Amino acid sequence: MTAEQFIIDDRENNLFRVNREAFTSEEVLQRERKEIFDKTWLYVGHESEIPGKNDFQTRDVGGRPVIFNRDRHGDVRVLLNTCLHRGSSVCRHSSGNAKIFTCFYHGWAYRNSGELVNVPGNEDYKSEPAAVYKGLQSPAQVDSYRGLYFVNFDPDAPDLLTFLGEARYFIDLAADQSPEGVAILEGTHKYSLKANWKLLVENSIDGYHAKSVHHTYFEMMMELGATPPMLGKETVNGVAPAGMGTEFPNGHATLMYPANGLPLATDSVKQTLANLRAQAEQTFGENYATAMFGLARNSVFFPSLILIDLSFGLTLRTFYPVSPSETLVTGWQIIPKGVDEEFVKYRINNALTFWGPAGLATPDDVEALEQAQKGFGARGEVGWSDVSKGMGKPVPAANDELQMRSWWREWNRRITGQQLPTEGTSFVPFDKQDVDA
Amino acid sequence: MTSVSETPTITTRNAVEEFLFHEAGLIDEWRLEEWLDLFTLDCTYEVPATDRPHADPGLTWSLIHDGRTMLEQRVIRLKKPEAHAEFPHSQTSRIVGNVRILAETDEMIAVTANFIINRAKSGKFDTYVGRYDYELIPGNSSFLIRRKRAVLAHDMLDPQGKISFII
Repeated sequence: MTAEQFIIDDRENNLFRVNREAFTSEEVLQRERKEIFDKTWLYVGHESEIPGKNDFQTRDVGGRPVIFNRDRHGDVRVLLNTCLHRGSSVCRHSSGNAKIFTCFYHGWAYRNSGELVNVPGNEDYKSEPAAVYKGLQSPAQVDSYRGLYFVNFDPDAPDLLTFLGEARYFIDLAADQSPEGVAILEGTHKYSLKANWKLLVENSIDGYHAKSVHHTYFEMMMELGATPPMLGKETVNGVAPAGMGTEFPNGHATLMYPANGLPLATDSVKQTLANLRAQAEQTFGENYATAMFGLARNSVFFPSLILIDLSFGLTLRTFYPVSPSETLVTGWQIIPKGVDEEFVKYRINNALTFWGPAGLATPDDVEALEQAQKGFGARGEVGWSDVSKGMGKPVPAANDELQMRSWWREWNRRITGQQLPTEGTSFVPFDKQDVDA
Repeated sequence: MTSVSETPTITTRNAVEEFLFHEAGLIDEWRLEEWLDLFTLDCTYEVPATDRPHADPGLTWSLIHDGRTMLEQRVIRLKKPEAHAEFPHSQTSRIVGNVRILAETDEMIAVTANFIINRAKSGKFDTYVGRYDYELIPGNSSFLIRRKRAVLAHDMLDPQGKISFII
């Protein structure tokens, strides 16, 4: 690699730039695999996706095939989906219910808690495989927060709560939306884009592109009588109409702004929402309930877990690189538990209008990222991208780029070892005392 | 469904095929307003998630679950130059085949068919494959679509990436 400097963080002139080699270089991707995907907490799945004993989901996490499952006692496990004998997957279904995972190659069989329990021709071994190999391996660390399970392949990495830090309150804002908790809806958006994974990180927390890329979406929503975001007048919990961006330690970041209106909501849906809000107010206080239901939020949890709550829908998305110019995305929809079917349908229909590979907004995002990747072909001549918007402002707006700079500084620290100071202090728009009480 | 016709008449099959081929042509030619006119006011247009092909898109996180209003908006949006993913429009060429009439009453005809859609855009060529399920309402000389469901035979949208046109 020729370019060892990946970011320019010029505080004097409030200029921030990213070297476009970071999006195109195979060597950078190898470093990302080693310094980021091998060492940070990576999202695996939500407990509601494996509700019963022996339920499983198979996933690819940070380049590893894993089985996210409950064993016969109901304990959640994450098992590396590779036979200890010669490597084949021991589970080839995307989801299901199984007590035993058997490798089809030579028939080695494992209990769903991992133990190796059957080896055909066991008597031919001088050293018994079950004693030598024990069972399916797990990532070095597995932990959960509010039903979200994460793994870390580095045994020395700080624990999950430390890693999430203050940013975990944005997970709380999602998880607390119903007294019964939240669940992932059945059905997954799995799609790819021909662009570097970091472009999707940027895009997921980018308020600036909304008006230009999603112009047709806002026109449509206004046609249907909805209030477009960022055009309101009122301050919500200290968040100005233009919204704000905020950064957290470890590269997590959030942008928030007063929430959308409720496109296509019926009276019954509005009532359900009012009930959820009233319950939240009672449990957590008015400020917290207002943050939960009155603010839209896009959060990134480093490196690539995205939680977006646009009030008409709550989406969770994670993605991993296949190559410098190709990314595989998985997206889910979160729904508060204990609500009626009409509310569920409303949320689905509204969320689908925006998100997903067949939504009325996401394909345009993908187009923008693929066009950017194409543009990086000219990096020899035009070598840097600008991420300066709002830099130097005491409070950057939601459509400024503080969130990306925060994320990029952490990326840069992990890739180059260079530590750069944050721009300001973190901001959480609700009374934390209420949450802890 | 009250009565099932095990052997639909040649006339019905021909008429249904003719209708589906006409619909395919309208989409390929981006005559989307005319395509919209083929639907009833209480219609649904659905694409289930690739990992839940049998699920009800009304109650699961599917790819598309449009009622009439959203279908109209989808068409209006797709005809604007600011629908960036489809400008310039991709070129599609679809083959609809294996058309079978599953049930037939005076009020409704249930039809299933296979599709292959080839799509060219920006130097890329993608193929979308799957099955259509239709509920058709017989009219004076043709049909109206009350329900169209496109079930993809893909386990994920890769390399296709997105469904930014009418499938």
